[in-house]
Amino acid sequence: MANKEVLDNASLQRALTRITYEIIERNKGGQDLVLVGIKTRGEFLAHRIASRLEQLEEVKIPVMAIDITNFRDDVLNHDDSLGLNDEERTNIADKNIVLIDDVLFTGRTIRAALDALIHIGRPKTISLAVLVDRGHRELPIRADFVGKNIPTAQNEKIKVFVQEIDGRDAVEIVH
Amino acid sequence: MMKRHLILEDGTIFQGLGFGSPATTFGEIIFHTAMTGYQEIITDPIYDGQMIVFAMPVIGAGGIHAEAYESVKPTISGMIVHDLAEVSVNRQRRMNLDRFLKQHNIPGLYQVDTRQLIRHLRETGPQKATIVDYADEHAVDQLVATVLTNKQVQNTATPKPYANPGRGRHIVVIDFGLKHGILRMLGDYDANVSVLPYTTSVEEVLTLDPDGIILSTGPGDPRTLPESVLTLIRVLQSKVPMLGIGLGHELFALANGAELKPLPSEHHGMNHPIQEIISRQIFYAMQGQGYAVDGETINRKKLFVTYRDLVDGAVQGLRHREFPAFSVQFFPDAAPGPLEATAVFADFFETVEDYVEHYN
Repeated sequence: MANKEVLDNASLQRALTRITYEIIERNKGGQDLVLVGIKTRGEFLAHRIASRLEQLEEVKIPVMAIDITNFRDDVLNHDDSLGLNDEERTNIADKNIVLIDDVLFTGRTIRAALDALIHIGRPKTISLAVLVDRGHRELPIRADFVGKNIPTAQNEKIKVFVQEIDGRDAVEIVH
Repeated sequence: MMKRHLILEDGTIFQGLGFGSPATTFGEIIFHTAMTGYQEIITDPIYDGQMIVFAMPVIGAGGIHAEAYESVKPTISGMIVHDLAEVSVNRQRRMNLDRFLKQHNIPGLYQVDTRQLIRHLRETGPQKATIVDYADEHAVDQLVATVLTNKQVQNTATPKPYANPGRGRHIVVIDFGLKHGILRMLGDYDANVSVLPYTTSVEEVLTLDPDGIILSTGPGDPRTLPESVLTLIRVLQSKVPMLGIGLGHELFALANGAELKPLPSEHHGMNHPIQEIISRQIFYAMQGQGYAVDGETINRKKLFVTYRDLVDGAVQGLRHREFPAFSVQFFPDAAPGPLEATAVFADFFETVEDYVEHYN
């Protein structure tokens, strides 16, 4: 069956724009803000939000990307490594973190990311921005900023395409 | 057709032939550069009492369509065109422009050298004008003695609340001289709309439990409206998602401490590129503005600029820093105009959905 496009290029851009405005609204101007993108696609989305913030506020917001593989609850013998070098390791202590991912589903990735963040430091606050919330949570986690709520069936898949690695911006439901 | 005259306040006289109503008329003369959409333009309440010169050389070929009204009754004071198309290509052929203007008692003038007239108006800016049969001294005296109204909002806004029911979110429109395009766009989202007079109190608005508020477009200088309107905006913006359009945008700016300045060259048309600052995207939209928000007076702690006109840098959009409240100077309802800006309504409804989910 054909994939169904739920966000096209323009609406994906608008979703990121709206998330950026909401981040400003709830963070009073972006002081002490650090954007943390969850690899792979969350990282690109974090950079896009950061460049939007920069256009508006003329300030550079630190962006960090984390690989949460070693913190997953289905991976044994994890070695606590985040794949960050010291330079990449933005100091997150007492910062307002916005964690950014493409799709929010069971909530397990976010739990792993929270563990990973707290492993590096003690942020003042952590909020969550996702491009798509597709429901079916298995943990008590919710997003603060949502690009689009897409109700899905458990067996459907959501595929996010980003220009940087996929050559186009779109969100599709794969049956 | 009878020879008639257009007299400007500075004494300049143009000759033309009369169409529409044979009455004598007074109004502020402006020019419009839109190449399409004359019916929407002449029925848009933002031009209440004004006399519109069309830069497009041929006007009238589209006739008058039932679906292209922006108000029930046009209230412009006159229409000046170069060439009047007497044969309408409108397949319904129910109404032509000449007959339409006669019905609404609006004088028109055609066979006017509109290029010369517009070149003149670009330099002088808008001014008082009259369309008369004879351009004698008496007519000039009459024009000079005429005081134009500044009560355009009172003339065009609804005095009583009314509903435009739907099954979606409840949107309250504060009416300052609403154009139909806004209601059409709200209809696209199946919004349940209540249109309220601008004199409505905060309590009355909140009693209706709106999911979102729209400050409508409207005519004239927003600074002539009572202070209570600004208070209304200041309270509502902190409680419910808000979108201001046109005059509504200017009022949103005033309510948040910014000031307005008259534009050296007014924007009436759809040929100015506008940039969305956050995404750097450029698009076109219909504009109708004699004033703009003075960028220098914007309190950056309260508001930030979201859109700018790339021709003269005029502020085209604002957003509140703390509340889900934003505004656009241009007309995103595309009636007439490019469809590119209609996403402003999508932004508004997404903000409304988001707000309902997070705070209710």
